[in-house]
Amino acid sequence: MLNEIKVALRGLVKTPGFTAVAILTVALAIGANSAVFSLIDAVIVRPLPYHDPSRLVLLWEQFSAQGLDRIPVSAPEYLDFEKEFKSVDQIAVFDYTAFNLANGGTPERISGAVVSPALFSLLGAEPMSGRTFAREDQGVGHDDMIVISERLWNRRFNSDPFLLGKTLILNGRSYTVIGVMPKAFEFPIPLFNVQGGQFAERVDIWKPIAFPPEELKARYNRSYGVIGRLRPGTSVASAQAELKTIVANWMRLYPDNYSTAAGFGARVYPLHEQVVGGVRTGLIILLGAVGFVLLIACANLATMLLARASARERELAIRVALGAGPWRVLRQLLTESVILAVVGGAAGLLLSVWGLELLKRIGARTIPRLAEVNLDFSVVAVTTAVSLGTGILFGLIPALVSAKPELTEALKEGGRGSTAGTRRNRIRNSLVVAEIALALVLLVGAGLLMKSFVRLQNVDPGFNSSKVVTMELSLPLVKYPSPGASYLGGESTISFFTEAHRRIAELPGVQANACTSILPLSGTNSDSSFSIEGRAMKAGSPGPDEEIRTITPDYFRVLQTPLQRGRFFNDADTATSEEVVIINEALARKCWPGQDALGQRITFSDPRKPGVKWITIVGIVGNIRHRGLDLEPQPEYYIPHTQSPARSMILAVRSGQDPRELVSAIRREIQSMDPEQPVANIRTFDTVVADSVAPRRLSVLLLGLFAAVALLLAAVGTYGVISYLVVQRTHEIGVRMALGAQRSDVLRLVVGHALKLVGIGIATGVVLAIFSARALSALLYRVGAFDPVTFILVTGLLGAIALLASYIPALRATRADPMIALSRNT
Amino acid sequence: MIQLRHIERSHPLAKGNFFYVLRDINLDVAEGDFISIMGPSGAGKSSLLHILGMHDHGWTGEYTLGDAPVHNLKAKERAALRNEQIGFVFQNYHLLDDLTVYENLDIPLSYRRVGKSERAALVADTLDRFHIVGKKDLYPRQLSGGQQQLVGVARAIISRPKLILADEPTGNLHSEQGEEIMELFKKLNSEGTTIIQVTHSEKNAGYGNRVVQLRDGFVV
Repeated sequence: MLNEIKVALRGLVKTPGFTAVAILTVALAIGANSAVFSLIDAVIVRPLPYHDPSRLVLLWEQFSAQGLDRIPVSAPEYLDFEKEFKSVDQIAVFDYTAFNLANGGTPERISGAVVSPALFSLLGAEPMSGRTFAREDQGVGHDDMIVISERLWNRRFNSDPFLLGKTLILNGRSYTVIGVMPKAFEFPIPLFNVQGGQFAERVDIWKPIAFPPEELKARYNRSYGVIGRLRPGTSVASAQAELKTIVANWMRLYPDNYSTAAGFGARVYPLHEQVVGGVRTGLIILLGAVGFVLLIACANLATMLLARASARERELAIRVALGAGPWRVLRQLLTESVILAVVGGAAGLLLSVWGLELLKRIGARTIPRLAEVNLDFSVVAVTTAVSLGTGILFGLIPALVSAKPELTEALKEGGRGSTAGTRRNRIRNSLVVAEIALALVLLVGAGLLMKSFVRLQNVDPGFNSSKVVTMELSLPLVKYPSPGASYLGGESTISFFTEAHRRIAELPGVQANACTSILPLSGTNSDSSFSIEGRAMKAGSPGPDEEIRTITPDYFRVLQTPLQRGRFFNDADTATSEEVVIINEALARKCWPGQDALGQRITFSDPRKPGVKWITIVGIVGNIRHRGLDLEPQPEYYIPHTQSPARSMILAVRSGQDPRELVSAIRREIQSMDPEQPVANIRTFDTVVADSVAPRRLSVLLLGLFAAVALLLAAVGTYGVISYLVVQRTHEIGVRMALGAQRSDVLRLVVGHALKLVGIGIATGVVLAIFSARALSALLYRVGAFDPVTFILVTGLLGAIALLASYIPALRATRADPMIALSRNT
Repeated sequence: MIQLRHIERSHPLAKGNFFYVLRDINLDVAEGDFISIMGPSGAGKSSLLHILGMHDHGWTGEYTLGDAPVHNLKAKERAALRNEQIGFVFQNYHLLDDLTVYENLDIPLSYRRVGKSERAALVADTLDRFHIVGKKDLYPRQLSGGQQQLVGVARAIISRPKLILADEPTGNLHSEQGEEIMELFKKLNSEGTTIIQVTHSEKNAGYGNRVVQLRDGFVV
């Protein structure tokens, strides 16, 4: 065996070109496969990093009649679940929040969560130092402690070993650090696919929950996520059945809150499904794509080995004539292919390490659990098995064909093509056909996604995002108190944002600036129901529940969203003036079809009760695609910040030049107003828009990359086969030239053969693509799965490249010297 | 018909030296000649034939075919002239393995851009003339050596060349088949076709009207 390895290595070193191309072919395929295996292993296959994660479920509510699914839970509802929901043995609530950290140094906004003390034990998570919350660390007055992440501990506190027990000032309040969670702990896991929130940021501070008193009375104020651990042996279905009973009971107890026509309900979703459900289809498509790349690479390798075996026919015949048995010849040939596959596999693993690093960088806001992705033992084992399998299986085809050379023909100088030669040609041709067919499938997939992406980029979002910078400002309750609900601001909040607007407007280069509670395409959303004047509330029928934003007067000027009728908000719209609202065209069409919506009135209170506060529609603006460029604009309404002050706002500033140049001046102005007020999440609006299509971009990028690799491999395969064909037919071409064939005749002969293979490959590929494109349907936007233009363009591209790959050897064939070709046989 | 003046063919050797395959070849061939080129192996017989057939362009001297100064022609013009005037017969037949007898005869005509119906007529005539109509759908491997060479000769004359160049046409045939082929050449020659053959066989040379002896690249 050692001898065979030595001979094989010597042979491979002697033909560096062949060896390099073969290894690169395997490396590309194995690299792509191990990267995607790793990704799928970490994201889909591996259990979530919590204790017994299969029993973890998330609980969301729904209003199916309004198309609202997976919406959060209110505080009183959670407390009811805590008491009544017996299918779970532990239950906890959580909500995202942000903390302004101002312990010396630059004020910084840190992503955080408020959680039930039970959360950590529910997840089976232990701190790396200190402790987590105890049952009594809950409720107003008992929540002055925090647990921080190892990341924050390292970054902000230089891993201070004495941090535990110290006090931090967050949102103007003091909190004692009681524990540090290890780096590996993450909860909530980013990218929960929940209505109204994408939750892309990692949490670095956990604080015990303390429901404000006003929230405990508001069953409609839904903002909390709920996680539970199913009792052993309890299924999701039986938990679901119990929820149904609980909800039915609520509807009986609180008929005003749960109208029967709204389709209210609560559902549990396995946590794993919730985390990875959104990316599963995309990842499976990717797995299919790299599987195709692997098949193409294998076909290429087999083609190359066949050509090599053909070229060695005489050598193999001499070996057999000298007494080598078929097994010996087979072993020799297999040794070579296995060496190529193993070296290629090793190179592929290195490629995948690099690829995964790249993926972690570009997919950070797109793929959940990306931090957990690594090349672990199972991936290396799978890769090794696939490499060896590739080497043996695809080395076997040429080896079997060549292991029994026909001695009389092969040993005869210039002997004509043997049966093995014909068989080899058939196999080689079939392999090229397969390569082209598979490459076409990938190219069609990539083409469809690319076209979708281009269509999406060309969608009019209803605003102009260029030259706008956005940043988040969250005013802490302690410093900016409010008389009402804690999420609402008061006079001080209004003053802060009014003054900020005035100061920023004076900065050189600023064209317009405004604040909004919700920025389009940022992944967050908010909705609220209202009643319309003159329309009687029917029992059991919900009023309109539409998307709501709080804005400052210049918001539409910053966004350059056109005013259709009426007016924008202005400085005369104050807390004490008539209450006003601006709606978009979609809402006007939906609620006032065929009528003039301008001047109509709505209310958030019950119109049947006395003292109703009516809000007048003073403007109608163009539609904005808020949830996604690929989603139709929804009905929206806007209320002025002065009449409903939110304490967390996104500041958007339009500039005449690069808006990023304004950031430091804006930050200076904000801090001159409040030195402890951080400015967070600074992004240009273009970036916000680009981030909103990041998952699609990643799909296009990856599938495009794999399709390009497939195209390259198919081109190399075609080139190899046609090159070999030319070498094999040199004699024939010489004869033809001696008989009068001209360059064009030879070109036609060689390219014609390639054309036949390419044609069959394309025809097969089109049929396969028609079946497989259906799987992509969910990822397409305004492009049919059988889009003829894409099919034609892709077919043309593949055909052109394959023909180019065959044209080069064909051109070489035309330079064949008939004298040399003919003298080979004399 | 052919005039060769001072034709030389050499291959470069190390240190700026040359190995001469043909030296100062001067030869006149009249229309209707049947010339046999003879000589020991390595004398330059096949090389001379390839120069005459315009397969080889690396020679010096003057070569005139009819009125055409081949030495002054470009490769494309030489190819056109060759297609118009010359037919080849090879020792190893060089039939195209994947084509039937019919297709092997058709191919030189298609390379000369002869129309389809005319080609069909010419192939039918030739099949008939060589008594191989019954074999038209067979592949070369289904024919004996003699039959293959018969097709080779038929293919060489199908485009009605004025000159046939034959490189050891009977070299791979047994004597009876060889005689048949030589008789065929004689007949073609008597019908006006000029033939130049390379042969080792005195007997085959006897079919021609003139022998050119080559030795070490020189005409002797």
